Amino acid sequence: MTGSTAVGSAAGGAPPAAELRGITKRFGPVLAVDGVDLALERGTVHAVVGENGAGKSTLMSVLYGLHRPDAGQVLRDGREVRLGSPLDAIAAGLGMVHQHFRLFGSLTVAENVVYRAEPARFGVLDRRAAQERVAELSARIGLDVDPTARVDTLPLGVRQRVEILKALHRRAEVLILDEPTAVLTPGEVDSLFVVVRRMAEQGTTVALVTHKVREVLEVTDRVTVLRDGVVTARLTTAQTTAGEIVEAMIGRGLVPAVNPRGAVRGDPVLEVDGLRMPAAPGASRVQDVSLRVSAGEVVGIAGVSGNGQRELVEAVVGLRRPESGGVRLHGRDLAGLGVRERRRLGIAYVPEDRQGMGTAASLSVADNLALGHHRTPPIGRRGRLSPRALRAQAAELVRRLGVKTAGVAVPVSSLSGGNAQKVVLARELHHEAPLLVVEQPTQGVDVGAGEEIHRLLLDVRSRGGAVLLVSYEITELRALADRVLVMLDGAVTAELDAAEATEEVLGAAMVQAGRAGSPAGSASGGGER
Amino acid sequence: MSALGQRLRLGAPAALVPLGAVAVAAAVGAGVMLAAGVNPLLGYEAMFRGALSVSNIDFAVAGFTAILAMSLAFAIPARMGEYNLGGDGQLVAGGIAAAAVALYVPGPAALLLPLCVVAGMLAGGTLASVSAPLSTRAGVPVIISTLLLSTPAVALTSYLVRFPMAQEGSPVPQTPRLPDAAHLPAFPGMSYTNAGLVLVLAVLLVTVYVDARTPVGYEVRVAGANRGFAAYGGLSVPRLTLGTLAAAGAVAGLAGAVIVMSQPFRFIDDALTAPGYTFAGVAAALLAGGRPALLPVTAALFTILSVGSAGMERDVDVPRQLGQVLQAVVILVLALRVLATRWIAARARRAAGGRA
Amino acid sequence: MDVLNLAFVAAVLTSAAPVLYAALGGALCGRAGVFNIALEGQLLWGAFTAVAVSWWSGNPWLGVLAAVAATAVFSLVLAVGAVAFRADPIIVAVGMNLLALGLTGFVMREALGATGTFAPAGLPGLPDLDVLDGVPVLGPVLGRATVLVPLALVLAVVLSLWLARTSIGLRLRGVGEHPEAATSLGVPVTRYQMATVVVAGALCGLGGAQLSLGTVTAFTENMTAGRGWVAVAAVMLAVSRPLWVLGACLLFGAAEAWGFRLQGIGLPQQLTDAAPYLVTLVVLVLSRIRVRRRLRAADPVAAESAAHPETALHPEEPR
Repeated sequence: MTGSTAVGSAAGGAPPAAELRGITKRFGPVLAVDGVDLALERGTVHAVVGENGAGKSTLMSVLYGLHRPDAGQVLRDGREVRLGSPLDAIAAGLGMVHQHFRLFGSLTVAENVVYRAEPARFGVLDRRAAQERVAELSARIGLDVDPTARVDTLPLGVRQRVEILKALHRRAEVLILDEPTAVLTPGEVDSLFVVVRRMAEQGTTVALVTHKVREVLEVTDRVTVLRDGVVTARLTTAQTTAGEIVEAMIGRGLVPAVNPRGAVRGDPVLEVDGLRMPAAPGASRVQDVSLRVSAGEVVGIAGVSGNGQRELVEAVVGLRRPESGGVRLHGRDLAGLGVRERRRLGIAYVPEDRQGMGTAASLSVADNLALGHHRTPPIGRRGRLSPRALRAQAAELVRRLGVKTAGVAVPVSSLSGGNAQKVVLARELHHEAPLLVVEQPTQGVDVGAGEEIHRLLLDVRSRGGAVLLVSYEITELRALADRVLVMLDGAVTAELDAAEATEEVLGAAMVQAGRAGSPAGSASGGGER
Repeated sequence: MSALGQRLRLGAPAALVPLGAVAVAAAVGAGVMLAAGVNPLLGYEAMFRGALSVSNIDFAVAGFTAILAMSLAFAIPARMGEYNLGGDGQLVAGGIAAAAVALYVPGPAALLLPLCVVAGMLAGGTLASVSAPLSTRAGVPVIISTLLLSTPAVALTSYLVRFPMAQEGSPVPQTPRLPDAAHLPAFPGMSYTNAGLVLVLAVLLVTVYVDARTPVGYEVRVAGANRGFAAYGGLSVPRLTLGTLAAAGAVAGLAGAVIVMSQPFRFIDDALTAPGYTFAGVAAALLAGGRPALLPVTAALFTILSVGSAGMERDVDVPRQLGQVLQAVVILVLALRVLATRWIAARARRAAGGRA
Repeated sequence: MDVLNLAFVAAVLTSAAPVLYAALGGALCGRAGVFNIALEGQLLWGAFTAVAVSWWSGNPWLGVLAAVAATAVFSLVLAVGAVAFRADPIIVAVGMNLLALGLTGFVMREALGATGTFAPAGLPGLPDLDVLDGVPVLGPVLGRATVLVPLALVLAVVLSLWLARTSIGLRLRGVGEHPEAATSLGVPVTRYQMATVVVAGALCGLGGAQLSLGTVTAFTENMTAGRGWVAVAAVMLAVSRPLWVLGACLLFGAAEAWGFRLQGIGLPQQLTDAAPYLVTLVVLVLSRIRVRRRLRAADPVAAESAAHPETALHPEEPR
C-alpha cells in the first residue's frame, strides 16, 4: 500500500553522495527498519520524514555508524563503506547534528569546533588558527558566530550552528540533521534553512530528518517517507503536496483519537492571571500570562520548546515561585502553597522529564506508582505504610492501564518508554484530580502507546476533568485540544479555537509571531496579543 | 513480621556478594599474616579468641554496641544517598555532652541516666544536623561537611578534657570519674555489657520499622533514588535530609554517651575515636547493603575484626591495624561488586542478542 | 616587622604545600570528570613511603621518588575500580582511605618496629633551600623550605596553562564535561580519566613526601589528619581550576600558620587545630550558596540534586 509518486532515481551520471541499500535493523523482537533503500544525491537537501517510531532515526543512525545494520549496505560515492562507529563515519565524510547537541558548554565556540582536530604547534593549541578556521567556515556558509564565545552562553540556534561548523571542520560532505527545528524559534528556523540551502549550493548533501511537513515543503528537494520501518513514498518536493506527504506518513488504516469538541464546558478549574517570571540563565521568562482551563476542557499550549512553557507549568504545580501574578484552583488562590499542598487540592502532573522527574528508574513499578498516594488509605494510614496495599494498588493500576511489565516489583528502568509513561499516567490519573497538567505526553513513546495515551487524556476530559496540555507537536494539539494558546518568548501571542487551529494556521501563528520579534528570537519577541 | 522476613531473605546472588567480600578479605588477611611470618590459622584463632573467649566477650559486646550504633549512623542517611563520614565528631560530641551533664548536674540515677543519654543524642544530632542546611541550602555535599566538622569537634572535646573538664593531677587527659548515678546498669556478672546494648538495639528496631513500614521510610527511599522525582511528588528534600542526619548524629551521640557511661566511667581523650568505631560502622553498613535488619550480623563481624585484632596483636604479635586493613578490603570488594553484576548482565544480553 | 611578615608567608607556604599537591591532583580529576576523594589516603600513603624509603636508603630524594611511584600505583585502585569498572567512586575512596590508614600503621609496626610515631635520629629529611639565604624576600620566604614548596606553586601555574593552552588539556576538559561528546569525536575517555587519576596519585605522593620529609621529618599514624579532605574542599571551592585551588590552599595555610602563632601566645593547640577546617568549610559554604541560587533559578527540580558531590566539582554553568 504505497502511495508513491515515484521519482526515477538520478540514473546515469555520478553515483549518489551516500546511499543505503536494503537496510534492515532489529531491536530484539522489534523490526525497526525493514529493507530500506535511500539515495542522497550530491548537493541536494533530502527530507527523511515519518511519524515517531517510523524508523527514520534508526536509519540515520545506521548511516552515521551508530548502529550496525542486520542486513544491507552503506555506500559513499558509489563505494561500499563499513561503519563500525561514528568515527568511521566522520572519516568517510559524514557528519551528524543530533537533536540533543553534543557540545562542551564551558568551552568556546572555536574550541568546540576544533576539538580532537586541533591546529597545534608542539602540542600547544594554536588559538588564532582555530578562530580563523571558524571564521572562514562561517563565512563560507553565511553564518554569524563569535569564535571566542563560551558555548553555554549562546542561544540554542547558535549552538546548532556550532554543531554544523564542527562537521564542516571535519570535512563532512554529507550532513545529517536530526529534527533540527525542534528546539528553534521560528526566526531561527528561517535562518537555519538559509544555511541549509547555501550548503547544498556549495555541494554539501543534506539529509533532513523531520516529521514536520511544512519544513519539508519549504527547504528540501527530495522526500523519502517512512512508516513502520518501510518506505511508503519517494517524492520530489516541487511536485508534491502536504496532503500527499501526510497520507504517506500516517496511512489510511489508523484512526487517531480525536477530541470530539463541542461538549459542554463547566466552571473554570484553573485560572492564571498576569503571571510573570524573570529570565535567568537556563530559564526563560514568562511575561504576563493569563489563561483559564474549565472542567471538561483541554487547553493546549503550542510553541517551540524553551519559550516559557516549562516555567509556566512549574509555577502552576508549585515548583517555581512567580515574581507576580496569581494561580487559582476552583477560585482558591494557591499563592505560597508548595507542591504537596497543591497536589492535595487537586492538581495532577505528568512532567516532560520522565527520567529526571516523572519516575525513579531504580525503584520498583510499585514504589513509583505509590508517590503521592503513600500517606492516604489504603496505603498509608495513621503514620503507617502497608507494603501489601502498596503492591495491590500497583497491580490494579498496571492491569487497568495495560502496562507491559514483568511485575510490580521490577524497576521502572526495565520498562519501555511507552510503558514507563503509562506508569506516570496511571499514578497521576489515579487521583482523579480536577486538574491534570501534561507536558509532551507522547515524547519517546511508540505510535501505538501514543494513541492509548491520547485516549486516556480524552477520557479525563469526558469525565469532566480540566487538562492543560503543553506540546511541541502540532498534530497532537490538533487531536486533543479544545483551545490552543501559542507561547513565544514567555508571552501568549495567539489564542485559537479548535476549529481555527489547523496545522497551517497554528504554524503560521508561530511563524508570524516570530517574525514580529527579532530574528534570533533572543529578545523581546511577540509584542501584540 | 513477614516484612522483616522478606527483607532478610536474600536471593542467592544477592547473598553471594557480601559472603564473597568477606571471603576475599579473609584470604587477604591470611596472605598478610603469611607475609608477616604468622600461621594464618593461629592468627585468626587468636582474633576470634580476642573477641569471643569467655574473658573477652564482655568487652567485645561493648565494642559491638558502639559499632552497631555507628553503622546505623552511616546507614540512615545512606538510605537517601547521603554519606555521613563525620561519625567521630558526633561520637565525641555525644560523649562529652553526657559527661558534662553527669559531672555538673546533680541528681538521682532515675533522672541522670535518661538526661545524660538525651544530652548525648542531642549533641551528636545537632552537630550532624548542621550538615543538612549546608547541603540543601548551600549545596555543600554532606560527605564533605560532616568530615570537615568532625575534625574540629574532636579537637574541641580534646581541649575540653585537657582544660576546663580535666581531672586535676591526672597524667592522662581525661575527665573525673562520673558519679555513680550516671553509670549505665550492667548485665549481671558483666562490667562492660550494659543497658547501652539494649538502647542501641531498640534504635535498630525503630529504624527497621520506620524504613519498611512508614510513609517517612518510603519518602527517604524515594529521595535516595531520585531527588527530582521526590521534589516533583511534593516531598521536602531539605526536611528529609535534616531528619535523617539528625537521627544519624543522635545514634552516634548515643554511642558516645554509652561509652562514657560505661567502664571506666570517664571521657578519656582519644578513647572514643582510637578504636575506629566510625569506619567499622561504615564497613558494616556497606556490607549490609540497603537492609538495616542485617546490621547486627555485619556489625558483629566487624566487632570480631576490630576487637579481636587487639587480641591477635597480644597473642601472635600481628599488628592490630590488620583489622582496619581487612575492613578496607571488604569495602573495596563490595565497591567492585558491580563487576560481578555487570558481567552477569553482559552475559544475559549476549544470550538475548544471540537469540534474536 | 617586615621580617616577621615574611616569616609568616613562609609558614603559610609550608602549611599549604602538601594540601596544594593533593588539591591539584583532585582538580585534574575534577576536570576529567572523576570524583576523587581518596586524596586523604593517598597523601598518607605518600608520606609513609617517603619516610620508609628515605630511612632504608639513606637518601631523602629516593624517598620522594618512591612516594611518587608508590602513590601512583596505589591510585590504580581508583583508576581501575571507579573509572574502568564504573564502581561507586565514593565507596572505593572510603575503602582506599581506610586501607592507607590501616596499612601504613601495620607496616610501620611490622617493618619499622614503631608504634604511633616513627622519627628515629638520623632519618634523612629533605634539605632546606639555604642557597637562598641572603637573597632579599626569597631568602626569608623560601630559605627554610624544601624545593617541593616552590615546586607546588609552579605546578599550579603550569597545570593551569596546560589545561587552557594545550591540545591534550583541551581534550581533557572535554572529557570531563561531556564524555559522550568526547567519545563521539574519537577521544578515548576511559584512558584519559585513568591516566589523570594516576597523575593525581603521583602529585599526592609529592604532597605526602613534603609533609613527612619537609614540613617535619617523621611519620605519625594518621599524620595527614584531614588534610586530604581539606584538599577536596579546596577543589570544590575552586571548581577544579588550578589557580583558584592555589588560592584556596593558601587560605588554609594561612589559617594554620595563624593558629601556630596563636599557640605562641598561649592559646591551646587543640583549639587552633580546629581553625583551618572551620575556615575552609565556611568559605566553601559562602562560595557554594551563590552557585546554588543560580541553579535554583534555572531549574528548581534539578537543583535538588545539586549537592550531590559529583556535580559539585564541575566548572560548568547550569545548562
